Formats: sequence, C-alpha cells, structure tokens
Amino acid sequence: MTGVDAGAGAGDVRYDRAREGATVLGIYLTSIAVALVVAALVLLATGGSWTSVLSALLDGSVRGPGRWGTTIGVAIPLLLVALGTIVNARAGLVNLGQEGQLFVGAAFGTYVATHIGAGGPGVLFLIMLAGVAGGAIWAGIAAVLRYQRRMPEVLTTLLLVFVASQAVGYGLKNKNLLLDPTPDQANRNLISERLRPDTRLPRLDWFGNEFPMTAFVALLMAVLVALVLRWTIVGFRLQMLGRGPRTAHRAGVSEARYGGLALVASGAFCGLAGAFMLAGGDFGNYRLTPNYPVNIGWEGLLVALVARNHPLVSIPVAFVFAGLRTGSGFLAATGVDRDITKVVQALLVLALLVPPAVLFVRNRRRALAAAAERV
Amino acid sequence: MAGDFFFAVGDVLSSETTYSSGWRLAVALGFVAVGEWIAERAGTINISVEGAMLAGAFAAAMGYDASGSVAVGLLIGAAAGLLVGAVQAHFSHNLTANQFVVGLTLNILVLGLASFLNSSLKPETATAHVFEVPGLVEIPLLGPALFGQPWPLYLLYPLVPLAWWLVYRTRWGLEVRAVGENPQAADVSSIDVNARRRQAVYIAGITSGLGGGYLLLGQVGWFEDAIVGGQGFIAIAAVIFGGWTLRGAMLGCLLFGSANSFRLSLPAVGHPLNSELLSSLPFVLTICVMALFAHRTREPQSLARPFIRGLR
Amino acid sequence: MTSPAAELRGITKRFGAVVACDNVDLALQRGEIHGILGENGAGKSTLMKVLIGLVLPDAGAIRIDGEQRRIRDPAEAAELGIGMVHQHFSLVEPLTVWENVILGERTRLDAAAARRRVGEISERYGLAIDPDERISDLSAGLRQRVEIIKCLRRDPAIVILDEPTSVLTPGESEQLFEVLRLVVERENKAVALVSHKLDEVLAATDRITIMRAGAVVDRRETGDADAPGLARAMVGRPVSLRSAGAALGHIEGLEDGVAASEPEAGNGPEATGPPPVLSIRDARARGRDRRTLLDGLSLDVRPGEIVGVAGVEGNGQAALSDLLSSLLPLEGGTVRVRDERPLPGRPGAMAAAGVAVVPADRHESGCVLDMTVAENLTLVSPPRARTGRALLDSAGRAILDRTGRRAHAERLIEQFGIQTPGADAPMWSLSGGNQQRVVLARELSGDPAVLVAAQPTRGLDVGAIEYVSERLREAAADGVAVLLISTELEEVLDLADRIVVIFRGRIVGEMDRADLDVERLGLLMSGAQEAAAS
Repeated sequence: MTGVDAGAGAGDVRYDRAREGATVLGIYLTSIAVALVVAALVLLATGGSWTSVLSALLDGSVRGPGRWGTTIGVAIPLLLVALGTIVNARAGLVNLGQEGQLFVGAAFGTYVATHIGAGGPGVLFLIMLAGVAGGAIWAGIAAVLRYQRRMPEVLTTLLLVFVASQAVGYGLKNKNLLLDPTPDQANRNLISERLRPDTRLPRLDWFGNEFPMTAFVALLMAVLVALVLRWTIVGFRLQMLGRGPRTAHRAGVSEARYGGLALVASGAFCGLAGAFMLAGGDFGNYRLTPNYPVNIGWEGLLVALVARNHPLVSIPVAFVFAGLRTGSGFLAATGVDRDITKVVQALLVLALLVPPAVLFVRNRRRALAAAAERV
Repeated sequence: MAGDFFFAVGDVLSSETTYSSGWRLAVALGFVAVGEWIAERAGTINISVEGAMLAGAFAAAMGYDASGSVAVGLLIGAAAGLLVGAVQAHFSHNLTANQFVVGLTLNILVLGLASFLNSSLKPETATAHVFEVPGLVEIPLLGPALFGQPWPLYLLYPLVPLAWWLVYRTRWGLEVRAVGENPQAADVSSIDVNARRRQAVYIAGITSGLGGGYLLLGQVGWFEDAIVGGQGFIAIAAVIFGGWTLRGAMLGCLLFGSANSFRLSLPAVGHPLNSELLSSLPFVLTICVMALFAHRTREPQSLARPFIRGLR
Repeated sequence: MTSPAAELRGITKRFGAVVACDNVDLALQRGEIHGILGENGAGKSTLMKVLIGLVLPDAGAIRIDGEQRRIRDPAEAAELGIGMVHQHFSLVEPLTVWENVILGERTRLDAAAARRRVGEISERYGLAIDPDERISDLSAGLRQRVEIIKCLRRDPAIVILDEPTSVLTPGESEQLFEVLRLVVERENKAVALVSHKLDEVLAATDRITIMRAGAVVDRRETGDADAPGLARAMVGRPVSLRSAGAALGHIEGLEDGVAASEPEAGNGPEATGPPPVLSIRDARARGRDRRTLLDGLSLDVRPGEIVGVAGVEGNGQAALSDLLSSLLPLEGGTVRVRDERPLPGRPGAMAAAGVAVVPADRHESGCVLDMTVAENLTLVSPPRARTGRALLDSAGRAILDRTGRRAHAERLIEQFGIQTPGADAPMWSLSGGNQQRVVLARELSGDPAVLVAAQPTRGLDVGAIEYVSERLREAAADGVAVLLISTELEEVLDLADRIVVIFRGRIVGEMDRADLDVERLGLLMSGAQEAAAS
C-alpha cells in the first residue's frame, strides 16, 4: 500500500481542532466512567460502600494530618520512574523492566552506603550516583542485547526483572554484600543495615507535612526532561528514532547510540528512584528489604502511560497514583481490603488505553482513505 | 566441599520425590506454555497469561468452595482464564492497544482483584485426589512422577498433542500460522486476521486458567496471592527458549520446572545451594539462548505487531 | 448476446471528500480479456476492489451472470466465481506453495488433495511449480505463478489481475499473457486486466475501458484503438507520447524520441567527461537471512548525468537504494562520493557525504508520518555536517533552532509548491504527491552531489509524475549526478542519459541513450544475455 495519490489535496483531510478536541474529551470521559462503574460494581459485589471508601482514600492521601507529605514521598519515585519511561518511549522502545532497574539501583545504593563507613553530603551523593549506575547497568544489559544481538528489549527488560530480584535476594543473604552483619540479627532476616543518619536525605516539614527534599529534584527533572525532549537536538533525534527508525538512520541518528542512550537513561532514572526511596525514608525505613520496590516500578510505568508520555502531565498523575496507594492504608477502618485500590488503578489504566488507540486508528485511516484507496 | 555437593545432588537425583515434584512444576508451566505457544504463533506475546493463571487459580478455589467438585473448580478456572484472555484479545486485537501494556495492566488488575476478593470471600479448598495409573506407576523413578499424580495433572497429556494437531493439521492452525507471519497476506486471502489472533489468545487464556486451577487444586491446595509468583512469565520464557516450536517449549517447561524442584529439594537434603541462581535460571537461560541463537531461531515474523487493515 | 459474466452498474465510492468511483458501469464478457486502463488514482483499483469485496460501494449494483448480488468480502466473491491475482502481500513466505494456495478456503485441511490440485492446475496452464517448495525460496516470477495458481484453484469464472507485470521481465509478461489467452479461449472465462501501461493493454486485451478521475471516459474494442487516442483519453488532454510516455507505459514513443533528444545532449556525459562523483566498486552484501542482495555491483555516475538502473523488481534495486541511504553495510567493495569514502551502513554517512535519496517507500525511510511538515523538511542535517558529537547538531548547537527551521520550511513549501495546511501540519495529513514533494524538497535543498531516486513516481498521477521528472532533469542540469532506480522501463527510458541493467544484485549491461535497443534491454533484464554483456 505504498501508492498514495497526489490528487487528493491537503484540504481533503479535515483538520478541525475544536471538534477534534471535543471528540477526544468525550472518548476519554466515557472510558473513565466505564472504569469507575466497573470498580463500583466490584465493590458492591463484596458489600462495600463506595462513599466510605472514597472518603477513606481522601483521608489517607490528602485530608488526614500530614498525609500530603506521605503522598508526596510516594509520588517522588513514581515520577522519576515515569520520566525514565517517557525518555525511553520517545525513542520508540518499550521498557518493562523498571521494577528490576529500581531494585538494582536501590541495592547499589545500599552497598555503597553500608560499605563506605562514613557520612555526609559527599557520601549521600555517592549513594545517589551508585543508584543511577545500578539502574543504568541493568537497563544497559538490555541495550547491549538489543543492539548487539537484536533481542527485543521488551522481553529482555521483563526477564531481567526476575533476575534482578533473585540477584538482590542473593545479596541480602550475604554479609559481604547487603545483609546486615550485626550479630544479633537472625541469619534469615534478609534485611540490610540501616543507613547512617548522616547519609539520609534531608526531610522538610511544611505545615505538618513531612517529605524528603528530593521532591523538588523530581519536579525539576520533570521540567528538565520536558525541555530536553522539546527543545534540544537530542530530543528531536530521539523522537525521529522512535517514529521512523529507518529514516532516522539514514539521517544520521545511530539507533545503537540514541536507543541505547534512551534505555540506559530510563534505567538510570529508575535507579535514582531506588536510591531516593532508600535514602528518603518513606520506604523500608532506610533499610533494603526483599521485595523492596513494592510495585513502584510497575506503577511508574503506568504513570507514564496514563500521562501519555508527557513529562509535565506525569506530575499530577504520579501524585494521584501515590494518593491511591497512601489512601489505601486508611481503608482498613471501612472493612474493605486495601487491594481495591489496585483494582481501581488498573481499571483506570485499561480505560485510558482505549482512547489513544481508537484515535490513532481513526486519524490514520481517515488520511489513508483519502489518499491510498484511490490508487 | 565439592564432594558434599555431589553427594547432595546424587541424593536428589535418586529420589523419586525429586522427579515427582519436578514433573508437577513442569506441568503447571506446560499448561500455560501450550496456549502461549499458539498465541505467539498467531503473533501475540501474551504476558497476561500470568494474570490468567492467577485468575484461574482463584476462580478454581471459588468453584471448588461452591460445588465441592474439583472438576467444576477446574472448569470455572478455565473460564476465568478465558475472561482475562478475552480482555487481552479485544484490547490488543480490536482496539490495537499495545499488547504488553495491556498484559501488564491486566496482571496488576487480576492480582488486585484476586487478593481483594480473597480477603473478603475466603474460599475453602482442598487438593484433588491422587490417581495412580495401574501398571505404569510401577516404572522405577519416573513412574510415580508421570503416572502417580493428582488427576488434574493428566489433563495436560492429551492437551499437548491436541495443540500440535490444531496448529499443524487443521485449517484454523494454518491460518493462525499465516496471521503470525504475514497478516497482510492472510487478510487478502480473506482470513479475518484479528479474529484468528483473538481466538489464539482465548486459547492461551483457557489453558492458563486451567494451569492456575491445576496449581491450586492439584498442587498447592489453598489460595494465596503469591501462588503463581511469576510462573506465567517462566512459561513465556519457555516458549521463546524453545524457539517457537511446541517440542522446544515443552522441553523448556521441563527444564525450568526441574530447576525449580531442584531448588526446593536441595535444602531438604541438607545442602544450602544457591537457590537464587536456580530461581533466576529460567530467565538467564532464556536470555542466553536468545542471544546465542537469535539468528537461527525463526520467530513469527509479525510477532507483537498489531494488524490494522490498510496500515502497515 | 448472453448476459455478461459480471456487470457493475452505477458504482460510486467516496473516501471522505474524494470520489474514487463516480457512477461507473462496466461489463466483463466471457471469452474476453478486458483491459481497464487509467493512470494511478483513476479509480480502477477501487472498482476492482468493489468486485472482489474488499471495498463496499456507496451506491450501485453488481450482477453476476445476470443476477443481482451483494459482495461483502473476498470469500463471498470467491463463491460467486470471482478470483483475483494480487500485486503484493498475498503470499506467506514461511509457508509452502500448497499451503499458500489453499489459504482462505473454508474446507477441511487435506494436504494430499491440495498438492494434487496444485499439480493439476500447474499442468493445465503450463505453470510448473513444486507444491512443497517454501515461498521464501522462490523468485518474484515464480511467486506470481503461485498467485495465479491460487486464483485459478477454484476455477473462477472471472479472473482479475491488478498490474500483474510490475514484477515480471518482458519475456515473463508475454508468457503470462499467453496463459491468460488460454484461460479465455479454452475455458471461456472473463479476464479483467488492470493496468496503467498502454502497450500492455494494446497487446493483450480484446476490449478496453478507460478511466479517469473516478469515471469511465471511453470504451474501445482493442482492434480499433491506437496509442495516441488512448493516451488522450487517459490523461484528458492531448499529450505527447514522448513526454508522457513514461507515465503511460508506452515505449514506442520513447524510442522515437531518441533522435530528437540527441541535439540537446549537451549536459549528457561524453566519454571523456568529468570524473564520476559516485562510484561503487564490487559491492557485496547479504541480507539478514543470508541471502545475497548485492553480488559485486559496480557503478559510476558523473555530475550532470542521469543514470537509469533498469531491472525487474527484486534484483537488488532495494539493496542499492539502501546502500546509498546508509541502511546497508557491505561485506566487500567500496563506495566513493567525490573524494570521500563514506562507511556503508554507518548512520548518516551517505547523507553527510552528499548523497540525497528519494526512496521507493517514502514512509519507511523518506519521511516520518508522525512528525510535522517542518520537521520532515529538516530531518537530515545538511551535508558536510560530520560532527560525531551526540548532543549537538551540525552547527555545534544543542538547542533546536525552531524559528530558523520554520523559516526554512516555509521557504521550501513555497518553492516546491507543497500543498499543506501549514508548516506544523502532521505529515500524514498530506497527500502522497505532496509527501513526495516534501521529500524531494528536503533532499534537493541540501545541495547534494548525488541524487538517488528510487521509483520516484510510483503511485503518483500524471501531473505529479511530470513534476518529479522535471525536478530530476533540473537537478541533473545543475550538475547533480542523478541515479534513477526504477522497475518501470518507460520511466528509465524517458529520463536516463545512460541505462544500466541490474540482475541478481549486479550490473549486467550498459547502454547509452543514443544506442537504445529495447529488445536487448529486455533480454538483459531477464538475465538471458548476462554472459554476452560481460
């Protein structure tokens, strides 16, 4: 179907922004409504009351005293993971390994923190750097396999998640690596030493809401990623690579270099998220534990997806997702299991997958129908 | 030290329980892999089999709780798997959303749903009874493993040749292979590409649901959130490991299942071997096999690419 | 007279604002080859898609053997005895011949019967083929043979062929027409031959329907038709067969034009002309499946000349174009552009050395549909930009110069007459002809030393073809070395100063425009004169 006709002038393709906007909004609202109705039905089926659930969620995420801070603390790694995912998606790659990259990043951070035996901002910086390196290396494996052996990064990143959790698990059994060497710790406890107080991230207290100062780092990074992707040569080339890899290659964009860069950057963001979690205090109380990432990697991926790969949009989305998570802690009082928030979250994501797919097919069909079908 | 290790390995290898448990674990993977193989031949990497398996396990628990019958439990498990498969199929081959993202989200959804419902419904379950095939069970070492197992395990035995026959000896199978390789050609040959792909994903859902049901009623006996714990992903790895042939996929399941049972039985004979290494074996091995034989194995040419008529 | 095998009445089909078919009537009679002639975009393919059930008409009726029918998909068409030989995309490579032949049937799978059936058909029509061969091992000509068998397997009363000769050598085309003659005379089938090539329709058909802009403009008995008249009807105005010969698939006019073109051959190359700016030596390359793509190809292009690479599709044209697009690394041999030796396969190497490319498939390597027109106009950094630094552009900047880009784009839009809602409109919203203009504009604006044009007019209408041809001539006149790669012999004859023939990944013969010998060209293209030529 290469043949496209010249006779169909550009005016034939309707390019009406206002009407388009209304349609898009309509499709989105319908999808979200359907998701919420299904979630409500699940709740009803088990006899829960959705008003009390909603109220508990709001209390737990924003209304309760100090809950803003808790929610922000969770939103930070979500946002970072999402940013990495966005950079990666820009290059047309699908990274499903955030959970593993984050875990390895956190493990690298822990190793540095527990082996340096000193403290201070310099060491804190080294911990962050180690986290970045860990995530980048883990994603780098997938990058090498993709560009040296043509293995789809989708599969390798996914498979490496499980390898990561086993590898870190091994580290947590070994005193020379990550396991807390204190003698009174039982051997099977599988947790690392606690970070020294002087290697922890400073926490701010605003109106009773306490959160690590990395919140601002994360926000700054979101702005930075948005700027880089939109205004720089690198951003332009990543986009070219993602949307037309052969054209990009011909134009001088090396797939291995830029694609690899994007994958590694994505891993680095995850690794940094892991280091932030470790030194921030909102996760695991400054200790590395098995299953440390607690789905932050997966959810960060979903944040990017729901934000449709827009760095600035991911800020509120990350906050909402974090709110669902922190809010779920308050559900116990309502007698509804906290896992309902996972259901709501996944249903919302599924619902939000629909509109872009529908719109893409519709727009492209319309353009091609006007052109290709005439040949 | 090394001597100890080999003694331990020898003990494990000469014990019937090793083979029994290895086979059981391999069969759980086999249920999933057999359906996933068909889905991949049709062009879908269906990572929601993990969710379908979990859904199958939970639904089987509910079904058994309600009816007291293992057969009914398995049937309901398969139906739940089909439901997950149907969602995956329609999202990825009707709406043409990214199949990985859909699969991932479905996995999260099912995990949330199963734990949520489990905590409020708390189904009571049991294991199916063991059925010993007369005569065959007497074969030394392998007999009890292959023919002295809870009866749902035997369901896989006819399923594998059936899948082979379906793909290579029926028109439906020919069309499945065609849409996985060249959907445009299949389309102009008046084959409904996305319908075939959806059907293949349904099948993956059914067998995964069955696999989940088997896991619950034939192996574990009660429902817990971690009952599947990545076995769906291992099955996907097995299909890729096997180079998209049924034989290879089943071999992969056997290998990965055995590795898992090895990991479980080593501590029992008193040797603390590196269990993390064995746990990650399926994934590491699959990556290595793909890296080494990437040029020789022939994956379906349009694997993981959506088909939209008029677009390439 | 009996009722026609198929009769279409008042068929109308719109796509958005475009009317592809406007109240079209057509009758296919048994025992006749019916040529449906028209330029690209005239609506002939849409009409056939209506008959085969791939497109549902907005209005109109179809009668098969006098009875009114609705055809909603190809399966229904097949049941009514309508079969189609597709141009592309209808064979599944890893499957065998027999599996492909029965693909899409509804009966139980029976391998033995299917093999027998393939054997029978191939014997009946003289189309020899091994039913157990895999499609991936077959040549383009043999693949089409499988397509024809696939179509004839159900013994259709009506056979539709859509531009069947584009993958065939002239000799193979003649064989095909013999088979069609057989089908019509011995079995009394009705055949519809869709084509934009005058010569082919004149040679092979009994009756001709000419379409233009979605409507039937003329009907003739082939015996009463002549090339100038058909050309006039096709284009809608008197045309010189010389200037539009390429677009209309007419060789005779082109041959006649040789003498006329000679005096103005001043910009053509002399034997002692300037040294070549593009020179490929002994290029060897293999594809991912280890199949040989280029087998010792050597080629020179001098500034100011247009060298046409003629050949049947699938003989290495795509590889040659990829090589010059930096998309194909070589296993042996060299490429030299001016004084540089860009590394084949290295991203951007050819572009940086000054090779501009208008690729055959512009959606694949010519433009990016999901980016704006302005972005597409500035995708390739200008030549001589050989910075290896990943973060910077050719001028050493890290930040995009959006204002500069926009101004540049608007200049090109104006200069090349690109019809677009604006510089920021997405590329996919443009028509094919305008997308092609965007590609041309970008490639020519970089001040290239070499311009590679692969199938530059495929799928365009006559107006756009003339525009593109003119631009290529202008580029040559400005001293650019132009390499035209085309499977349309007419196009090569029309534009090239010198013609080389590509066969199985190597150049097997060369011919100056002045000593044109179409017959010898045809033989070279089929590989028959390989020994004689070298």
